[in-house]
Amino acid sequence: MKHTIVYKGFLLLLAVGAVSCNKDLLDSPPYGQSTSADFWRNADDAVSASNALYSFLGDEYTFAHTEQTWDICSDDQWRAGDHPEDQAIEDFTVEPSNPQLNDSWARKYEIVSRANAVLINVPEINMDNALKNRILGEAHFIRGLIYWQFYKIYGEVPLILEANVRENNYNVPKASMAEMEAQIESDFLAAADLLLTTNDNANLGRATKGAAWGYLAKFYMYKENFPKVIEFGNKVITGPYALAPSFGDNFTPATKNNPEVLFSIQCTEGWTENVASIYYGPRPWGGWGFQEPIDDLADEFEPGDERMGYTMAKVGDMIDAGASNGGLQPVPAGLTNTGYFFRKYVSWRPDGGLDNNMNIVMLRASDIYLLVAEAKIRSGQNGDNEINAVRRRNNIPDVSNATMQDLIHERRVELAGENERHLDLMRWDRANIIDLRAHYAINRGQWKPARTFTRPKNYKFPIPQRQIDLSNGVLIQNPDYQ
Amino acid sequence: MKLNLLLKRLFAFIAAIALHQLAFAQTSVTGKVTDQSTGAPLSNVNVTIKGTSRGTTTNDNGVFSINLQQGDAVLVFSSTGFAETEIDINGRSTIDVTLSTSSTKLSEVVVVGYGTQSRRDLTGAVASVKGDAIQNLPVSSASQALQGRAAGVNVVRSGGNPGNPGSIRIRGTGTINNADPLIIIDGIPAGDLNAVNPNDIASIEVLKDASASAIYGTRAANGVVIVTTKRGGFEQPMRMNVNAYTGMSNAIKTLDMLDAATLVELKRERFTNDGLTINPVWNDPSNSTQRTNWQDELFRTGTVNNIDVALSGGSAKSSYMLSAGMYDEKGIITNSFFKRYSMRLNSDHRIGKRLKVGQSIQLTRSNDNSLNTLSAQDGLIWSAIRFMPFIPVKNDDGSWGTSKASNEFGDINNPIFTANTIDADNINTRLLANINAEYEILKGLKFKVNLGVDGNHYTGRNFNIIISDQTRTRNNNSLGRSFSESYSLLGEYFLSYSNIFAGKHKLDAVAGYTSQTFDGDNFSAAKRDFLNEDPNQRFLDVGQTLQGIGGNRYYDALQSVFGRINYDYDQRYLFTATFRADGSSKFADGNKWGYFPAFSAGWRISNEKFFNVSFIDELKLTAGWGQLGNQNVNRLQYLALIGNGGRYSFNNNTTVGNTQTRLPNPNISWETAEMSNIGLSAELFNRKLAVNLNYFDKKTRDMLLSPPTIGTVGTLSIPDQNVGVLKNSGFEMDLSYSNRAGEFSYRLGANAAFIKNKVIELYDGNFIGSRTYGRPNEEISRTYEGLPIGIFYGWRTDGLYQTTDDISKDPNIANDPRRTAGLIEPGDVRFLDINGDGLIDDRDRVNLGSPHPKMVYGFNADFNYKGFDLGLFFLGNAGVKIFNADRMQGLDPTYSFNMYEEVKDRWTGPGTSNSIPRMTTRRNNRNYRTSDMFIEKGDFLRLKNLSIGYTLNDKLTNRLGIGKTRFYITGQNVFTVTGYSGLDPELGYTDGNRQINVDYAQYPQSRTWIFGLNVTF
Repeated sequence: MKHTIVYKGFLLLLAVGAVSCNKDLLDSPPYGQSTSADFWRNADDAVSASNALYSFLGDEYTFAHTEQTWDICSDDQWRAGDHPEDQAIEDFTVEPSNPQLNDSWARKYEIVSRANAVLINVPEINMDNALKNRILGEAHFIRGLIYWQFYKIYGEVPLILEANVRENNYNVPKASMAEMEAQIESDFLAAADLLLTTNDNANLGRATKGAAWGYLAKFYMYKENFPKVIEFGNKVITGPYALAPSFGDNFTPATKNNPEVLFSIQCTEGWTENVASIYYGPRPWGGWGFQEPIDDLADEFEPGDERMGYTMAKVGDMIDAGASNGGLQPVPAGLTNTGYFFRKYVSWRPDGGLDNNMNIVMLRASDIYLLVAEAKIRSGQNGDNEINAVRRRNNIPDVSNATMQDLIHERRVELAGENERHLDLMRWDRANIIDLRAHYAINRGQWKPARTFTRPKNYKFPIPQRQIDLSNGVLIQNPDYQ
Repeated sequence: MKLNLLLKRLFAFIAAIALHQLAFAQTSVTGKVTDQSTGAPLSNVNVTIKGTSRGTTTNDNGVFSINLQQGDAVLVFSSTGFAETEIDINGRSTIDVTLSTSSTKLSEVVVVGYGTQSRRDLTGAVASVKGDAIQNLPVSSASQALQGRAAGVNVVRSGGNPGNPGSIRIRGTGTINNADPLIIIDGIPAGDLNAVNPNDIASIEVLKDASASAIYGTRAANGVVIVTTKRGGFEQPMRMNVNAYTGMSNAIKTLDMLDAATLVELKRERFTNDGLTINPVWNDPSNSTQRTNWQDELFRTGTVNNIDVALSGGSAKSSYMLSAGMYDEKGIITNSFFKRYSMRLNSDHRIGKRLKVGQSIQLTRSNDNSLNTLSAQDGLIWSAIRFMPFIPVKNDDGSWGTSKASNEFGDINNPIFTANTIDADNINTRLLANINAEYEILKGLKFKVNLGVDGNHYTGRNFNIIISDQTRTRNNNSLGRSFSESYSLLGEYFLSYSNIFAGKHKLDAVAGYTSQTFDGDNFSAAKRDFLNEDPNQRFLDVGQTLQGIGGNRYYDALQSVFGRINYDYDQRYLFTATFRADGSSKFADGNKWGYFPAFSAGWRISNEKFFNVSFIDELKLTAGWGQLGNQNVNRLQYLALIGNGGRYSFNNNTTVGNTQTRLPNPNISWETAEMSNIGLSAELFNRKLAVNLNYFDKKTRDMLLSPPTIGTVGTLSIPDQNVGVLKNSGFEMDLSYSNRAGEFSYRLGANAAFIKNKVIELYDGNFIGSRTYGRPNEEISRTYEGLPIGIFYGWRTDGLYQTTDDISKDPNIANDPRRTAGLIEPGDVRFLDINGDGLIDDRDRVNLGSPHPKMVYGFNADFNYKGFDLGLFFLGNAGVKIFNADRMQGLDPTYSFNMYEEVKDRWTGPGTSNSIPRMTTRRNNRNYRTSDMFIEKGDFLRLKNLSIGYTLNDKLTNRLGIGKTRFYITGQNVFTVTGYSGLDPELGYTDGNRQINVDYAQYPQSRTWIFGLNVTF
């Protein structure tokens, strides 16, 4: 009798087993994730895909650090920090295996891939047309921005576009210079066409027509197409992108989104970290002490030029490093190696700690003013108005009949630390305006001894060796690094 | 009141048990034990009454006498080197016994999948480790105890931190992805061995070849480890076993670093050599004052404590084993710990004549804290090696010493500060339970059901304090909590049949169905800005700002049918055929099912009539072939997934983007391992010597791996693809010998495995990279077609340049622009130009050697004399290379860190050194890149365990009213013979299976001594 209970139990076990034999047992749902088949349904999906265009820009291995590294080649700064690979970049002894090259490569293509996804899928979505245009404009802008960066650093790289995604064809040879240029131009033109002139408060920081025009002006300057520089530059100058009252407003959290800032990487305390701040901040004040300005840059500023204090701190300058770093104090000797640090990426919260509300400035209207001035000077016109518009807020006298010498000086002090100097110098060397080989052969002291710049080799950086290996012969190294 | 009553009853109960032992002494039996082969009397033979702990030993004349109680029926005679013999008492008062020698190896029964087999009948390769061998060792996990116990079963320790179980590798690294074997605990596939109290284990079987493991088809490609826990016996009087040990552990070794004065001298020399102004901090005499040896400060004396109690017994119809234990280990670094509480109840019941029901249930709660000891940026030991010796642990004002004063002092936080302020732990509460039933339908035909559950509840917490006084600061404090629950349900239904036909045809067959599901659910939340960091305030409620909340779930399942037939003709010819079909939810429809057959055969030569070799008692030849599967990869890789694309904000309005997070691979399917095995087992010299030899060849096809992908794809995750073929082949040898001389008996054992690992094919012929080291991201390990997994890859060197003449005439750098630019100087390393283009660059890198040992071996010796026992267990690796990355950075003067003491012998002029480069602040020649300068021999021989015990004389224990009582002292890692210069030659994996034997200053293993007591009541 007692046993029958046990046998019943035994049968029950069998029944449980029989239930577990159902045929759906092996179906595993993708909890919490969408498959590509059930995404791209509506405007919300499109907006969220557009947000993802930006989130990689502030990555340590994209524009928050790696893409900032190339300017250590310039005469403005010493690499500082403790990344041995940076010495090779600074000394022009970089090899294709240099990790800085490969670190940023796939990440930049990730941003391209996000833009391609938007350009492929958003047109099919049934949604408000104005919003759709803005999002497509953002995708063109971001893709143009990345290829523009590739173009400046490596010259020719593979162009991955919508068709490559559709055909799952990613291992392609480098595009030609002409193809690179055509793509950058068409993406920025499409962006300029589709984007809004300005964004509302909740969307400040998204790309605008002004940002696209600005990059077009710069692109045409690299192409030495001066009428186009002036045409697109003037769109910015006459647009709602006025220079800020003070140079420093551009590098202050409270005024970080003033109209002069055409494009910046947005950071928010408690949400995203400004990694550039950490790299540029002095060690004892919570940073890692990379990329320090040198005397040569300090000496370039005219006496009384207010920009110097906003650009770089020197020993004795009064800086509020926040309570935990000792509050308002003169910069002590030994805080950094060269005695200076860049301030354009760094500020401190009142309680101490680097302020993550600082943005990383990518493009300012004043840069465009100076591009227009340069285009005018180089095409035999007068660029004084544009140069003086930039100078006037800094408590320094106007210039008249500005020459390229004046322009070169102005760009250096206005844009110091904003990753323009080395690229500008190479651009002017190619145009025979300066002799960069001789310029870099000058010994600028302990932090910038003489270096050998080799033409044309050092106009470009090498394609990362890892990418060449992975391409199985499809990707060819830049000639001077073979 | 109630509690009081309960306690009284408990005491009464215990007293009753104790009285029970004494009250029923009635009769006694005496006798003499002799050696069957020589007729000599045998002393010190254990004589116990079956099912009890009562027993005695024979005296010098082989004579014993033992008191009997009501119900005592059988005597058990055992002695090392002799076969255990059972004799029915049958009311006799005198019993003389002869014992025959035996290694006992072939007579044992081993657990194989879905059944047991006599070792004599095995046609596959199965290693057994008895519970006795691994008990009462100061280790947290049975996997650690398994290290070196059986040929071809390697346990790779990736650090000696408490609770680190190590990785079990059976017959080499079977695949480049997850190569862990399947672990079965009491019939439940249970993931890992950590939850089991090693003292609960009765035996561990390792199924090594395809024939043995194919019954577990799907998950058997990397071998199967079957753990059987102790159970009570039917008709066994209640027995209580208490185990307790306590001990201490210490660091085995520290590295010699420069003292402050020498360090300052060398720091200054760097600037002088480079023609630079010496940084003024190196003029400060305070920095030449030696204040702290950071390694000595970091390492403390650890402790380990264990107590467990097991109660077992049984009536004619039911038996039980109930155990409870606590293991508490505090590591040799502050704040590293592992604690485990465990409880187990196993019971078996006979219901009627045909039905048996059994169950096992195990509940464990473990708590540990894993410290960061693998990073060359902020690893604790890495930091202690490098931190400035003139910085005090604490300043006079009580604040922590810091490197903040100057960039020259390194961007390292005070490691003692870090170790002391870490506040993190991981708690796992795990239930492992099964219930099984066996019904005999007809004689020899049984139907079996096994239902199991493996549930785990994990909680993690991590509190990060604000750090402002150290170089690496933290702006906000924060608390992260995470919770996850996973449970796996198992159902197994199978028929087994066993019969002998016509006396000569023995048939065993088993066939069945099984399914297992795996569900998991997780939740995590983090807050920051805790106004008060008091330990009592470290709860989510207190945080001011929400940082994030997340949660998700997952589901996996396996479904299988399986069958096995064993046929034995006349105890001479043995055949086994196994088949399993498995469906896995990891793959898309159409690719879900994999089919895995295996066959093997054995020939017991010694049972042939023609066989007549007097000293060979048993000789068996086996051969087998089979296929096994591996689906141990991420789920849902056949789908393109859209997920979190990262955070961003617009004008401080926060957003989260969505993007494609994975490329799909719709064709992903099973990885298949194909394995052949040839084995020879023998017992010789009156079964004193047992030999087991195996040769195997294992090819893993369709190896699942996520191939390195060209960067133009982006950074989304690339799915695993069935690409690549890996081959492991090797020879394994197990020997054991036991004998005795008078009261002295001993057992010797040795095992060795010689395994070769080779990648036969790798996707499109490209290599697979691995984790890079330190700031310069030095590549160290690569996996290439035609070579073993994870070879060292870098430059070859030939000493240092001594003169400028050396440099100008060196053909290696004839065309090197660095030479012409004057960037190579005397005292720099001479790298070899392998491709002959006259310059040193990436293309001169070559294979610098394999990190895999040519031989892994272990040997043990156990001696018994009267009440004393001595056990020695050695293990070692031979023919192995280590890349000492820590030394690569430790010699490098360009970092703002302390350096190895050997830098004293640096190059300072022609002829001063040919191995340690000059002091400089520049990295022009990259002297400290991955090169053969940092490859060392990693061979070692380690006395893993030394155990000395004494068992109390039974006259004394009888008088005390207790059973067998043994005291012991055991040492772990007692000594190590090695030429390796780093902290510990056991380095383990540092990037999945793609990198092994690279020294990151991992948590070294410690030397532990314990004192213990084992009493049976």
